[in-house]
Amino acid sequence: MGPAHIKTGYDVVIVGAGAAGLSTALGLLDAAGSGAKPSVLVISKLQPLRSHTGSAEGGIAASLGNEEQDDWRWHYYDTVKGGDWLVDQDAAKLLARQARSTVIGLEHAGVAFSRREDGRISQRRFGGHTADFGGRPVKRAAYAADRIGHRILSSLWQQCLKRGVTFADEWYVTDLVLSATGTSVEGLVALDENTGTVHTIRARALALCTGGAGRLFHTTSNSWDLTGDGMALALDAGLALEDAELIQFHPTGLGHTGILLSEAARGEGGVLRNADGDPFMHRYAPRHGDLAARDVISRSIAAEVDQGRGVTDPGDPDGPRDCVWLDLRGISAQVMHARLPQVDETIRRYAGLNPGHDLVPVKPTAHYMMGGIPIDTDGHVLSWQGGQAQVVDGLYAAGECSCVGVHGANRLGGNSLLDACLFGRRAGSDAYRFVTMPAAGGGSHNHELLDQRAGRRRQDVTDLLARAGKKVEDPGEDGDRRDSTVPAPEDGNPYRLAEQLGRLMDRTLAVRCEAEGISSALNRLDHELDPAADRLHPHDPSPVWNQELTAVFETRSLLRLARAALQASLERKESRGSFKRLDYPHRDDDNYLRHSLVNRTGHIGWSPVHIEDFPPGSRRY
Amino acid sequence: MNGKQQADNQSIRRVTIRIHRAKPMPDHAGAPSGRHRSNPFATDHGPAGPGRRQRLKRWTQDYLLDARPEDTLLDLLLTIKREQDPGLAFRYSCGHGMCGSDGAAVNGKPALLCEATVADCQAYTQAAPFRPTGTGSERRPSPGHLDQPGPFHDPAQLSQDHLLVELGPLPGFPVLRDLIVDTTLMFDAIDQIHPWLQPGPADGALDAEGAATNPKGGPGSLEVRQTKDQLAAYEQLSDCIDCGLCEAACPIWSGGEAFIGPAALVAAARFIHDSRDDRAIQRLEDLGGEDGLSACQSIRACSRPCPRGIDVGETIWDLIERSHHPQQPSHL
Repeated sequence: MGPAHIKTGYDVVIVGAGAAGLSTALGLLDAAGSGAKPSVLVISKLQPLRSHTGSAEGGIAASLGNEEQDDWRWHYYDTVKGGDWLVDQDAAKLLARQARSTVIGLEHAGVAFSRREDGRISQRRFGGHTADFGGRPVKRAAYAADRIGHRILSSLWQQCLKRGVTFADEWYVTDLVLSATGTSVEGLVALDENTGTVHTIRARALALCTGGAGRLFHTTSNSWDLTGDGMALALDAGLALEDAELIQFHPTGLGHTGILLSEAARGEGGVLRNADGDPFMHRYAPRHGDLAARDVISRSIAAEVDQGRGVTDPGDPDGPRDCVWLDLRGISAQVMHARLPQVDETIRRYAGLNPGHDLVPVKPTAHYMMGGIPIDTDGHVLSWQGGQAQVVDGLYAAGECSCVGVHGANRLGGNSLLDACLFGRRAGSDAYRFVTMPAAGGGSHNHELLDQRAGRRRQDVTDLLARAGKKVEDPGEDGDRRDSTVPAPEDGNPYRLAEQLGRLMDRTLAVRCEAEGISSALNRLDHELDPAADRLHPHDPSPVWNQELTAVFETRSLLRLARAALQASLERKESRGSFKRLDYPHRDDDNYLRHSLVNRTGHIGWSPVHIEDFPPGSRRY
Repeated sequence: MNGKQQADNQSIRRVTIRIHRAKPMPDHAGAPSGRHRSNPFATDHGPAGPGRRQRLKRWTQDYLLDARPEDTLLDLLLTIKREQDPGLAFRYSCGHGMCGSDGAAVNGKPALLCEATVADCQAYTQAAPFRPTGTGSERRPSPGHLDQPGPFHDPAQLSQDHLLVELGPLPGFPVLRDLIVDTTLMFDAIDQIHPWLQPGPADGALDAEGAATNPKGGPGSLEVRQTKDQLAAYEQLSDCIDCGLCEAACPIWSGGEAFIGPAALVAAARFIHDSRDDRAIQRLEDLGGEDGLSACQSIRACSRPCPRGIDVGETIWDLIERSHHPQQPSHL
């Protein structure tokens, strides 16, 4: 699994090794069946098992009907309604219809699902999953204790080992190279973190499966690696991102950590309280109180904070009063132990609090990007020019970094793993078709472009390392003495800049936004953060395992993405699903029942929503 | 945790993080050298020497910072990156014990950086005498360019409000840089046991719409059925996050002996105990080699650090017992 055997070209290169990337690889190889297998490389900045898919807890949605009667049409409807009608219904229909075979396929791949007495897969209730088109709640989320993501990730990785998939672990892709016309794929340029060397990899087909960008925000449930690399690569290649402003916030992230405290904590009797100790949710959602929809609770918390009734995160005593209390003191120790062991452990370990005695600070935490690289239902990346979509030959995307349109303005619980596994397989399957076509594409077969870009990137890396200081000689027997030519740790430090950006994005876009704040944030990008990004550099010149090099690239990605999200937020002058504009508090179907498209320069275009079966209605639960 | 914790939350203490660092020496040619090895198994991976072509410069470095009891060591290392030394290298990702990437030796014991808190380390120093992790040659005084290099080798010298935490790379793994180690040997060993479900011939396939039936599942059902008891036989084993803590704790494996290692054995046990897998007997036989089950000396040091609570030692002991009676896998 080391880099020694990485070749300079493959039929298919997949970037990212989470549920989407591994599903794409398996979809490709399954499509090949017993025939000749295309060569495939999965390239990832993490060893596959470290991917963030492993943190998914709740379940994967499918109308298996194991627990009670269910129907894929109900799942379809719930997905459309949950997304506040900004859902492409052709894609949502596919998602709901093929959910069953996806989940069964995962079971056959070895996933250790929880089981019913009759030996079938267990399913549980999730917010927004209903029977009869919005009627009673239905058990639709297939689960595996509270560790579904880890078990799916393990099994997909195991299946890839079985099929002998080649992995390039801990390689960071720096450049996506399309043909000069932008209509087909040439390959990519990547930094091998193990050596610090820059490589080109030619590809006839290329799939971006890099996950989300929760690290745009300081408070996020996402891992440190969710820096939106694939989306930034697409922007750099001249492509637009779809619905970049639509970001889901989970209401109960633990104080300063952002780690999720499951909805089950409120299901078992937990109550949200403001600084005065008052339970406030009944004022915002009289029918559902503390069990209202995720976006409703997040907005209610934000409203309390905005009205000065927030509390300080004890982990950041000098910070803003932007938390509220989660009161779990009414839950008995037995119930806590039996049904909320993970919640209990997280609070004790990461806040040092005893939920039986102490109020727990919580705040909404950035959780999921509904938008991303625009794709069709076969995973083809779409390039939008003058209002027309055109497929980029050989370029695919899947999972959270992509936007097939199934999540609309608010993702339904259990649909993210499903999206990644299902549309990943579809992308892989189509990529097989593409690379086996008699006149298969694969760019101009003229590697000049690729070599050019690699040359530029090598120069970039050399320049960055040169700015780490002149200390290239042997550090000497006494250790690594700090040399006067080495820059101070705070100068050009990518970790610091990423944190500053996260705090700015928390203030500006988390849960709610308005024009003035967005404009001021854009202004700060222009005059402070973007110029600071140009000054980033590592502080050690040794190229081998120089994590700071990667951090510089990641921070650059985040800044490009922040601009795109801010611009798209500015232009969507309505409130819909997870997206709340304080200055435009209502949904506006006349003007904004459409997807935004934002490119690297901040230019905004719009594309229509595919409405097939369900005309826009109200989103009330 | 006890009733005092609300008060403890306010108590910031000074902490010295002492890190056993390592960095590749520049090549004579000045160009970065690859990790290419003709034979990945030809390496002596014991802690005495990394055995890599790339030579490492090793030293210890102290970082002084303020911390709260509930801060994790990962929190502190990230603070160091932001404020003192962005060049310090260590893997991390999810930050809450699920991804398995941030194993390290914490005061000599394998642990996840994102799970070990300052309070945990404090309990450790109060409970046991300080135990250095490095070899004698690595225990040089710290370099002296830091603001407060302290002679903290003896815990008795630590004041009440000053804590020393010593961090090193996971024992037994070749060091690449600072706390980053090469996990290739572990993952190659896991690959060797064919860690994928190998169902029996009766477990049929299905078409794109999931329309086929599955003989084992009965009419109208598609999944291979499994009772709660059958799931319980391997469920916890499937929680393994491949963090390598058990490998580091195992004196046989981390001592560089020819041993497939506890992580691969847990992976094998996961399938041996899965009622859907048809190859339990063959899998047990495959573990019969000299570097397989027989290399385990049942020291059971592997059980203690497991962040998922797997009793690794018991799991391996169970495999050893079964290998004496291979005709009776648990679920048959």
